[in-house]
Amino acid sequence: MPEEFLDEPFTVSEAADFISTKNAISQNNAVIAVNRFGLGAKPNELTHAEKDPQAFLINQLVIPKFLPTQYSSDSIMQLLADYQKQKQRDRKAVETSTVGINIPIETANSMSIDTSMANSDATDNVKAAPLKPKNKPPFRKAFIELTTSSLQSAIDSPNSLNWRLLQFFSNHFSVTAQGPFMTGLAPTLEREAIAPNLLGSFEDMLLAVTAHPAMIKYLNNEKSFGANSKLGRRGKGLNENLAREILELHSLGVNSGYSQTDVIELAKGISGWSIANPKRDKQTGFMFRSNGHESGTRKLLGKQYPQSGIEQGQTMLVDIARHPQTAKHLCYKLAKHFIADKPSASLQNQLVKTWIRTNGNIKQVMITMISSTEAWQPIRQKFKTPTEFVISAYRAFDISVPKGRKMIQLLTELGQQPFKANSPAGFSDDEKDWNGANALMTKINWSVRLAERQRKQMAADLIVNTFGQTMTESSYKTITRAESRDQALALLLLSPEFLRR
Amino acid sequence: MERREFIKGLGASLVMLSSGVSTSALATDIKTNKKNLVWVMLRGALDPLHTVVPIKDDNLLTLRPTLAKSVMKSALALDNQFGLNPALTHLHKWYLDKQLLPIVAVSSGYESRSHFDGQDYLESGGNLNNLDSGWLARSLSGLSNSAISTSKYSKQTSSAIAIANSTPISLRGSNAVNTWYPANIKAADDDIYRQLNNLYQDDKSLLQNLTDGLALQDTAMIDDSKKTSRKFIELAKACGNFLVKSDDIDCAMLEMGGFDTHNNQHKRLLKQLTELDSGLAALKSSLGSQWDDTVVIVATEFGRTVKENGTQGTDHGTGSAMFIAGGQVKGGKVLGDWPGLQTEQLFKQRDLQPTTNSFSWIASILKQHWQLSDDAIAKVLPLHKPYSNQIMM
Repeated sequence: MPEEFLDEPFTVSEAADFISTKNAISQNNAVIAVNRFGLGAKPNELTHAEKDPQAFLINQLVIPKFLPTQYSSDSIMQLLADYQKQKQRDRKAVETSTVGINIPIETANSMSIDTSMANSDATDNVKAAPLKPKNKPPFRKAFIELTTSSLQSAIDSPNSLNWRLLQFFSNHFSVTAQGPFMTGLAPTLEREAIAPNLLGSFEDMLLAVTAHPAMIKYLNNEKSFGANSKLGRRGKGLNENLAREILELHSLGVNSGYSQTDVIELAKGISGWSIANPKRDKQTGFMFRSNGHESGTRKLLGKQYPQSGIEQGQTMLVDIARHPQTAKHLCYKLAKHFIADKPSASLQNQLVKTWIRTNGNIKQVMITMISSTEAWQPIRQKFKTPTEFVISAYRAFDISVPKGRKMIQLLTELGQQPFKANSPAGFSDDEKDWNGANALMTKINWSVRLAERQRKQMAADLIVNTFGQTMTESSYKTITRAESRDQALALLLLSPEFLRR
Repeated sequence: MERREFIKGLGASLVMLSSGVSTSALATDIKTNKKNLVWVMLRGALDPLHTVVPIKDDNLLTLRPTLAKSVMKSALALDNQFGLNPALTHLHKWYLDKQLLPIVAVSSGYESRSHFDGQDYLESGGNLNNLDSGWLARSLSGLSNSAISTSKYSKQTSSAIAIANSTPISLRGSNAVNTWYPANIKAADDDIYRQLNNLYQDDKSLLQNLTDGLALQDTAMIDDSKKTSRKFIELAKACGNFLVKSDDIDCAMLEMGGFDTHNNQHKRLLKQLTELDSGLAALKSSLGSQWDDTVVIVATEFGRTVKENGTQGTDHGTGSAMFIAGGQVKGGKVLGDWPGLQTEQLFKQRDLQPTTNSFSWIASILKQHWQLSDDAIAKVLPLHKPYSNQIMM
């Protein structure tokens, strides 16, 4: 039993290792910088951070770079269009050769692709129907490639703060990979609409996200047409889904004073914001269908919008982005994400002030947060999400993510399958939702396995690389005196210091 | 079991789970009014006509030349109108023992054809605008105020377990929900738990989770290092173990996928229904005597087309089938009105016409089994009222 050892004093050399020889405060702050704001330290990262932890973070506020990929929302939509065209051709061929047999018309949704279903593999075991086109679009492959490459970039990056920020906004504008088409499309939103606007003005990000095919498709705006528009008169109606979530989740926040009428007015303002059908429209991506736009002046939150066409919705979105409630809502969420589940009012006020002064400049708001005293409290008030936990483990070990779907399977087991929040509200940012019994057991099992494959790493070195001298004495002792080298590594990953930030 | 010894070593012979759940050897002494509800979601849209087969409806052979032939004769007779798919041998026995109620031509009220929306609809209780609150979670809050929970010998709290990696919509919105799912990973050596116990001495919530996690593993009593542990039968067995061994868990959710049979339906459903049937049998046997205090509801998001398609399968439809089972269920008859299969009797001339609503049946169960008041039921399922049919003995 390890308890027997606890009474033993440190050996002289261990104690010497453990006692700080450097500027303790600067080192403490470096540990805070890489763990609270970043995705955990890679080897040598702490040394860089120590010189000036604040400047170290501010310098990381650059646009994240993705690895090149063949997939984009345009190419995904083209693939779907080609597939549907081929299917139609095949069907016609069969219909002319076989009389009287009813061929199934399959929608994209009917293809089984959802890995979250425990027993869904049954469909894969069955030979494909003879009449099905052979080349299913590689949506799943695209999903895996886009998702793992994003995770890998976060693991490799010397600027992990910007990846954290990207993950925050990607979750803020959560889209769910539901059905084959959204499976391909969901991971393109953060690359195409969020990352380019990550450090600029929030209104640019809101505009880009709202006009992105993934968001339009996910919240059903592609067929939302005004009742008095040309398309509307043919029976296609308004869909309030996207407008509602923009107000409730993306900008002002729930219970912030808007009404159901405001939802409908915004829905009318963005009616016609649609997606091109590559075959019929001879283009891909976002498409404004003016014949589906509800014309006339709109009134949103007490203000008139006489503009016509796409400009109307754009003007509304810019005003919504600049609304003080949006500043409050977003600053609260940012403070909650980085600092504490219940962020102090003083911190929120500082952020809101900067937000309003800079017209929602995200970089400036982050700099205010980094400069605040709240940011540097030694107590670890946040519990890492499964994604943050796994990424920080790979960063500490300085290793790559497993190839293919393994990484996604792992995050699924830990309860955070990428792009599968299954709700436009995204994944929770509360400790109570991640610090659970079953989740801990899964983390234990995974950490033990990972550690077994990393035996050549030294736990004591990793502790210094990741936490400097800030780990508590009892954690340090338990880890470094584990019964084996790999058990020590597993314990490090499972220590309160590593699970929290 | 060594792990159990270790838990005892921690001084945790009475383990309180974080939601207030306790597992205790003394359970039988306090438990006089425990009423379990098990919600089984079949994802992918189970074909009703191939499950509860209308064996006497001649239209079936015309609509489904190959599919009907493969079950008409082999179906296990229920009454003079219906028979069960031959794979459902245990369910058939329950029916003969008057412990099973099949319901035909039922629907949640969802009328489009997307699996995901259909499932969300069924889980949320008919509100696609709020997927953060499930009907089962809301029922759970209703249960804590119901007659069975406020009586003299009752427990203080009710909680639920979802056999899943993360909380399904059905159980969202309650803080009395645990999830459990067998790890896909080799279980760690017990020694690591001892070390973690040291490591967490100053972190109360991690220490609690460690203790709870070990108790959960112990209670599930399945070897999760085995690959087969994620089969429905193993999950169902574990589900029964949770209900029996834990004092406060009286609600559980199981899920099974693979019912989207657009092609080769007969063979595929035989496999799926066999797995479902043996899983439900395993659930019953792990429940032991608590089977008498348990109601199992089996439902799916929607039905399938009445016609078979060109690939010996069926496409997305509307009216579906549902099952209610349990030791005290007043079973042995088929519920729901049969709408017929003539073209003009079909929904949109293509699907089985729903004649009763799934949520109303669920409401009836909440009323008769969990004794929820009408007010409480209105909070769980605002759009539906319970049926007056007597479902429980």
